[in-house]
Amino acid sequence: MTFALGALVLSVSMGAISFFTTRHYLVIDREHTAIHEAALNRTYVVQHVAAGTTIDQTLTTVTPHSAPHSSSFLEEQGKHGVVWYERTFRVTPQTAIPASLRAMVIGRHTAASQTYVSQGDPRIAVGLPLPSIHGAYFEVFTIADLGHTLRVLALALFAAGVVTTVLGAALGRWASGRSLRPLTGVSRVAVAIAGGELDTRLVSAAGDPDLAALTSSFNRMVDQLQERIEREARFTSDVSHELRSPLTTLAASLEVLEAQAGSLSGPGRRALELLSADVRRFQRMVGDLLEISRSDSGSAEVSLEEVDPGELVRHAVAAAYRVLPADIPVPRVEVDPGVNGTHLWVDKRRFERVISNLLENASLYGGGATAVRVAPGGEPDGRAPSIRVSVEDAGPGLPPSERARIFERFYRGHAAFQRGAGTGTGLGLALVAEHVRLQGGKVWADEADGGGARFTIELPGQPADTDDEPAGQVGSA
Amino acid sequence: MSSRILVVEDDERIRSSMRLALEGEGYDVDEAANGEEALEQFAEHPADVALIDLMLPGMDGFECCRALRRQSAVPIIIVTARADTHDVVAGLEAGADDYVTKPFVTKELGARIRALLRRVRPVDEEPTILAFGDLELVPEEGVLRHKDGTEVHCTKTEFRLLCELASSPSKVLSREQLLDRVWGYDYFGDGRLVDVHIRRLRTKIEPDAALPRHILTVRGMGYKLVP
Repeated sequence: MTFALGALVLSVSMGAISFFTTRHYLVIDREHTAIHEAALNRTYVVQHVAAGTTIDQTLTTVTPHSAPHSSSFLEEQGKHGVVWYERTFRVTPQTAIPASLRAMVIGRHTAASQTYVSQGDPRIAVGLPLPSIHGAYFEVFTIADLGHTLRVLALALFAAGVVTTVLGAALGRWASGRSLRPLTGVSRVAVAIAGGELDTRLVSAAGDPDLAALTSSFNRMVDQLQERIEREARFTSDVSHELRSPLTTLAASLEVLEAQAGSLSGPGRRALELLSADVRRFQRMVGDLLEISRSDSGSAEVSLEEVDPGELVRHAVAAAYRVLPADIPVPRVEVDPGVNGTHLWVDKRRFERVISNLLENASLYGGGATAVRVAPGGEPDGRAPSIRVSVEDAGPGLPPSERARIFERFYRGHAAFQRGAGTGTGLGLALVAEHVRLQGGKVWADEADGGGARFTIELPGQPADTDDEPAGQVGSA
Repeated sequence: MSSRILVVEDDERIRSSMRLALEGEGYDVDEAANGEEALEQFAEHPADVALIDLMLPGMDGFECCRALRRQSAVPIIIVTARADTHDVVAGLEAGADDYVTKPFVTKELGARIRALLRRVRPVDEEPTILAFGDLELVPEEGVLRHKDGTEVHCTKTEFRLLCELASSPSKVLSREQLLDRVWGYDYFGDGRLVDVHIRRLRTKIEPDAALPRHILTVRGMGYKLVP
């Protein structure tokens, strides 16, 4: 756009400059020629008049009939006033010669010329004083041909301007596309990398050394970044893997001990209880770490199945309360009739973890969940309706400043000082966010109607009985 | 007589602790540190259930599964590092009946073992022979054969799955129902267990497993058996 505008301004100004310069020189040139010619003719007239030829005759011979481009006039301040000689007897001095030129030549006895337009024709009038007869010699040249030339020139320049503008616009588009393409590439790749696609690289730009340098240093930076991220993810994964073997031994041996707890002394039993509680927690923590490191390294696999949302949530809540402490009341599950007819494609294992982690979170920090609601969500892009599942508690709620951070790993908010804190893995809500993300949904925290905390997950739904099978379906049997 | 479990695990500590835990649950336990040893052990004392870690030195767990499956219909549980991986499906396709992920809880493992050792669910007022196509299923005897008498070899789990489908002909059974009745899982059992077992059954009883005539998939609902 800028380029087109620039080309337009440039071509207009270049055109204008060319036109006016050319016209100026052409006119000046014609004026010089006219003055020169008029001076010659004046000399001729003066000689012939001095030799006794009549003025009329002289004028006739000065400008032959056939010469169309000029006419000569002579004005004499005779004894009887002003006498006007003119070959054709058709014009008066007033109409033939511009008044200002006459005043200059007759009044001041100065030679002068003037370019003007009369009856639509551009003309040059030259006036030369004739002191010998107290008069002046005038010659008027028509320069209509010059006007024609200038019109053609103007037309040519205009056409050139149009062509230049169009070409300029096209060139600008091309050049800006070409010069900005690497930057567009960089920004696209940066967005991809920020989105987790760490394998994305810039294509090296051959031919442009500046660009090649930028490209290679950008790629080197991403290489290092990727290596570092992968090393960290691998480390977490390796550590968790290594921890699993001793943990398996610990857990199995502990169960043997638990089976024989009856034969232990009081302190021994208490120690065993402490041990088993923390081994379980440790086991879950390692499981969570493995899960999260797989998600980080992009090796998590999601197997989606088509399910009824109400049924899914009821089963998930029931499953979660089989492992939650018995003194935590089971919340009511409310399924909005609006979700009927909509199915979810979820990874059931991950979904169950989401619900059990949210319920566990509510029992640790909110005195137990009070309600689990299943309701239709917004309809993103007018596609399939989405489903919202929210878990509410009647606890102290979450200050707004913690609502986003609560999903960070090992984040401990103000609730860290409450009863139950320290018994979670610190990864529960982070895993909720990961599981939901892997299933194409989102999760957020806000305030329940009663002031407690409310966690809501939204998953893309799909009308039941559709024949479109999304990718990633489990089993092709 | 108590059931015999073959534990194939290369980590000696895990093996010992599992022996203690499983013996505590009342099972007899055989141990093997690798695949070759496992096959020798099994040849000597056929176990009732084999527990095979997929990560074994030398012959890996998949190969061990396949080798064991070639000579026996014994229920096999594979021990895998993670549930969300193709390892599970690959292990099931190698012939395993079920899987547990490490670190597991012995109680959970015990539940899996008990489910696999269950007898075919006794169904009242059912004919003793379930027939479809040119096949006959005798739940009492645990036999699947063609009408001409040639036996079709299948694992206990495949047999139980087929019995469930055949005892409700033309009725759609959901994955959840099948997981519950055959494996003893609740709603959150892994549907891949059903899918892989159905696939295995099809290669055994369908003339063309790619175009099944008897065991049909009802999309979004489950499976049904058409006589």
